[in-house]
Amino acid sequence: MLAKTILIRLLSTAVTLFGVAVVVFTLIRVAPGNPISMMLPPGATQEDIANLNALYGFDKSLPEQFVIWLGGVLHGDFGTSITLRRPVSELVLGRLPATLELSVMALTIAVALGGFVAVIGARKRGTATEVGLDLTSGAVLSIPDFLWGLVFVLLFGVLWPILSISGRIDPRIDFDFTTNFYLIEGVLRGRFDVVGSTLSHMLMPAMSLALPLAAMIAQLLKQNLKEVLVQDYTTLARVRGFSETSVILREALRNAALPTIALIGVQFTFLIGGTVIVERLFAYEGLGNMAIDAVINRDLPLVQGIVLLFAALFTVINLLVDLSYTFLNPRLRNG
Amino acid sequence: MTSTHPTAQTLDIIKLNVRLANGRRLLRDVSLTLKPGEVRALVGESGAGKSMIGKAVLGILPNNLDISEGEIILEGAHLNAMTPSTRRKTVAKMSSLIPQDPLTALNPVRKIGPQITDPLIRIHGWSADRAMKRARDLLDRVHIRAPERVMASYPHELSGGMRQRILIAAAFAPSPRLIVADEPTTALDVTVQKQILKLIRELQRETGTAVLFVTHDMGVVAKISQQVTVLFAGRVMEDAPTQQVFEAPSHPYTQALIKATPTLNAVTKSFSPVPAELIAELHSDIAKIDAAYDAGDRA
Repeated sequence: MLAKTILIRLLSTAVTLFGVAVVVFTLIRVAPGNPISMMLPPGATQEDIANLNALYGFDKSLPEQFVIWLGGVLHGDFGTSITLRRPVSELVLGRLPATLELSVMALTIAVALGGFVAVIGARKRGTATEVGLDLTSGAVLSIPDFLWGLVFVLLFGVLWPILSISGRIDPRIDFDFTTNFYLIEGVLRGRFDVVGSTLSHMLMPAMSLALPLAAMIAQLLKQNLKEVLVQDYTTLARVRGFSETSVILREALRNAALPTIALIGVQFTFLIGGTVIVERLFAYEGLGNMAIDAVINRDLPLVQGIVLLFAALFTVINLLVDLSYTFLNPRLRNG
Repeated sequence: MTSTHPTAQTLDIIKLNVRLANGRRLLRDVSLTLKPGEVRALVGESGAGKSMIGKAVLGILPNNLDISEGEIILEGAHLNAMTPSTRRKTVAKMSSLIPQDPLTALNPVRKIGPQITDPLIRIHGWSADRAMKRARDLLDRVHIRAPERVMASYPHELSGGMRQRILIAAAFAPSPRLIVADEPTTALDVTVQKQILKLIRELQRETGTAVLFVTHDMGVVAKISQQVTVLFAGRVMEDAPTQQVFEAPSHPYTQALIKATPTLNAVTKSFSPVPAELIAELHSDIAKIDAAYDAGDRA
């Protein structure tokens, strides 16, 4: 059953990725501006332009270019970056760990913070505390991630400078990374200076990405908790002597979590989309930052590679969310 | 604390009033006692406040209701004088609830076993082994075949009758002094109703637990209880031994209620609703009582 589900998902993923590839490939070629004109010095001859066009294959028709590119992709060759002159796959996979660490950290903060506020709100339902939490999360939600980034830079970078506002790690740290997962590697190898510096750089962008999502989780989860907390089995748990907090955590939370999991699945992809701007803001060396450079420089192969990777990431996340339903709800298991 | 109370009743409710925030009374000076090992039926039509009495004892009434007036004494412990957390623990140690609807009273995402053993371990302080053994024994006692398998099941995998038997087992598991059974057969079909009723009566006799049995069904009253409290509009109409209530009901409302109960052998002949004039008369009595009560309240 599970194997069949996964197989179907993999097939639909392939179709999705193909669609994304077609759209991106076409769009960035139709959009004005071309990489060749940015590579050549002013006053280049028509012949130079034609030569360079031929070198990168831009003289062929669009469908031809697409087939050539797709053929490469199927063999694991995503082309070569025009501006950086290195294989796209190497560049993209080199940056992926940075963005993964950042977005997973943001997601963890959002779930922890949002979940905590939701439980407190449900515990204090019908009181002024609940109203206060509702108003606060409403306000937090209405401020977008990049604006939170600026607020944090002002607070913890300027007024009370305790966090690093730029980059991914302090360049003075002497550490030979074998992977690009700086935080995980720092933890595994017990280098707390590395962990500290990575966190100091990661905390503000992660918080900026996390806050709006945390507010959404807080509101939705609290609402669902309140609906579950009038069910008979929670009443029975109270009669059996469990405290309200214990009833919320042990009886209600898993029943109330399903809509929130769905929300997190959808919003996590938005959060990863948000890394593009937030990484730029904090000069964080991730995929998003690279994507902006690639678009500005019309580095077509690199843009295609990054977008395809993002698309693949989104479908994997959606698959994980669907699988988590089955884990949380026993009624779906033998369906 | 439990042994010092002079009356030595399992449950003693003295002049309990339950009021809405606007002062309207839902229970009016309700008093009743429950001796150890006794089954008392609470009967009345819907809205008479019969479930409310059980809920007031267990402390699960909605927050907007005021139950500060009157006394609820459980095994000598004055519940209304306690802090909410002490009250919760005291009630949990001494009493259990058999709920009305077995389909909604089990947590859909948790296995049956932990739902029975959790309170035994975490509230009553039993060891996990002892709790498991107790759960197995009781499931066996309520005629559940393969208790081990059922304990590893989720509620949706079991029938309504099975779930109610599980809830009965769970209610008796901590050996409570008092069980509140809140219309435990109403949501079940008739054939299952009889088994469930028989099961509660057997377990009650074996364990000597006192039961407050809430029902609207006079037929059920006759089968299960020794004492009956008849309620109308939150007021006790009659309080008497079951046999006496059926043979010689003293209150006109009780008489009407018994007449209104259909019997199998003569459904059409014996069935007659409670007369509207009687209802109107009772309501006007209640209005007078309330007026006097409000006047006293203000003084």
